[in-house]
Amino acid sequence: MSLHALIVEPFQTLAFMRSALVACLALALMNGAVGTLLVLRRMSLDGEVLGHAVMPGAAVGFLYAGPSPLWLSLGGLASGLAVAALAGLVTHGGARRDAGLVAFYLVALSLGVALVAWRGSNVDVMRVLFGTVLAIDQPALLEIATVSSVIVLVIAALYRPLAVGAFDPAFLRTVGVRAPYGAVFSVLVVLALVASFQAFGTLLAVGPMLLPAAAARSWGLGAAGSMVLATDFGLAASVTGLLVSYHVNLPSGPAIVLAAGLLFAISLAAANLLRRLAPIIGQAV
Amino acid sequence: MEADGRVALHNVTVRYGRRVALEALSGEFAAGSLTAVVGANGAGKSTLLAAIAGVVKLAKGVVDCAAHRRLAYLPQLTAIDRDYPLTVAELIALGGWHEFGAFRSPGTALRARAADAAEGVGLAEKLGRPIAEISVGELQRALFARLVLQDAALILLDEPFAAIDAQTVPVLLDQVMRWHREGRTVIAVMHDLDLVQARFPATLVLARRCLAWGPTETALPAMAA
Repeated sequence: MSLHALIVEPFQTLAFMRSALVACLALALMNGAVGTLLVLRRMSLDGEVLGHAVMPGAAVGFLYAGPSPLWLSLGGLASGLAVAALAGLVTHGGARRDAGLVAFYLVALSLGVALVAWRGSNVDVMRVLFGTVLAIDQPALLEIATVSSVIVLVIAALYRPLAVGAFDPAFLRTVGVRAPYGAVFSVLVVLALVASFQAFGTLLAVGPMLLPAAAARSWGLGAAGSMVLATDFGLAASVTGLLVSYHVNLPSGPAIVLAAGLLFAISLAAANLLRRLAPIIGQAV
Repeated sequence: MEADGRVALHNVTVRYGRRVALEALSGEFAAGSLTAVVGANGAGKSTLLAAIAGVVKLAKGVVDCAAHRRLAYLPQLTAIDRDYPLTVAELIALGGWHEFGAFRSPGTALRARAADAAEGVGLAEKLGRPIAEISVGELQRALFARLVLQDAALILLDEPFAAIDAQTVPVLLDQVMRWHREGRTVIAVMHDLDLVQARFPATLVLARRCLAWGPTETALPAMAA
C-alpha cells in the first residue's frame, strides 16, 4: 500500500473522515491549553469527574429531544456547571474531597446511563458513553469550532492569573486579585468537555484532554511550551487514531485515546531515559 | 516610608468548620514594628497572618489595615507548588504585579530590578533555573526577593526560617532587619525562640487566644509558662 493510500486517501474519499479530522483538530487546539492547565493545577481528577458530570444533563436532553446535539449539549452544560459549582464548594478535606468527587462521578455516570437506557436503545447508551466521532455533522462541527476558539482566546487573555493561581493562590489574593479565576477555569473545562462529548462520549472526553497534556508535561518545558507540545501531541494522536481506526476497523474514539496513551507512555520513557543519560552525556561533552 | 503599616485587630475570630483557630484577638501592631508571633502547633499563628492578609474569612471581628494594597505575604513553603514550570526570575518578577497586572508581562525595567533583588539574596547565578530544581533554601531566598520587589508597607512572614539551611538563615534575617530599619511593619511567625529573643523587639504569644503581647523580654516568658 502506498503512503498516499495509507494517509491521504481515507480523508480524500470519505466526507465523514474529513469531518472527524476537522473536529478532532479543533478539539486538540483547545485541549492542549485546557489539559495543560488541568495538569498544572493538579485537577486531573476534577476533570475526570466533570467529564461524567455532563452525563445526567445530556441524558435529560436526550429524553426531551432524542439524540439532538443541541439538547445533549445544553443538558450536559447545565449538569456539568452544577457539579463544578458543587465541587468548588468542597475545596477542603484532601482524601475526603477525593472520595466525594469519585462519589459524584459514579452517581452521575449511573444516573445518566439509567436515564438514556430507560427511553433509548443500547446504541444510544454506547453513543453517550463513547461518542461518535465519525458522525459529526456540520452544526456539531460549528459548535466544536466555536467553543474551541472561545476557550483558546479566554485562556490567552487570563493566562497569567490562571497560571499564578495554580502554584501560589495566596499571592493572587494578597495582590488584590479578587476575581474568581478558579471558577472561570472550571467553566472553561465544562465547556470543553461538552464540546468533546459528541465526539468522545462521557467516558473518553477527558482522554484527549489529559493524555497529551500529561505527555507534554514530562518533557520539562515551561507552561506555554507544554501547552504547544500538548496541542501537537493531540493533533498527532487524532490523525493517527483516525487512520488506525480506518485501516484496522477499530472504533475511532478509543483508537484516538489509545494513540494519545501511547504518546504518554513514550514521553514518560523517553524523559526518564534522558534524565539518566544526562550526567553521562554531560561528562562526555 | 509613610506610616501606613499599622494593623489593628478588633476581636478577630477565625473558625475552620467548627474548630476555632483564633479567638477574640484584639491589639495593634504599630507602624514600623517588628513582631514575632510564637506559640505551639495549632495555636493560630499562621491563621493570624492569613487573616491579616485577607486570605481567610473572619468569623467575627475586624482587621483594620491601611496597607491593604501595600501588603506582602510569605506563605509557608508547603503552600507553594514547586513542580510548577517557572524559573527563579519569573517567580521574583511577580513581585512587581502592581506594575504589570493580570494581563501584561513584566517589562525590562522590572526584570532588571528582579535580577538586582536576586543578587541581594545571593541568587544571581540561579535566575534561569526552574523552581523545581533549586533547594528549599534557595526557593525561600527567591520568595524573599519577590517580597523585596513588592515594596510593601506591611510584610507578613509565615515561618520564614523553618527547614532552611544554616547559610541561608543569616541572609534572610539581614533582609528582615533591613525592612525593619526602612520603617516597614514586619510580622513573622517564628519557632526559634532564641532568635526571637536576640533579634525581635516585640512578641505576640498565641494559644488560639492572646497569652501575651508586648516587648519581647516581658511577653516571651509566657511561652515557657
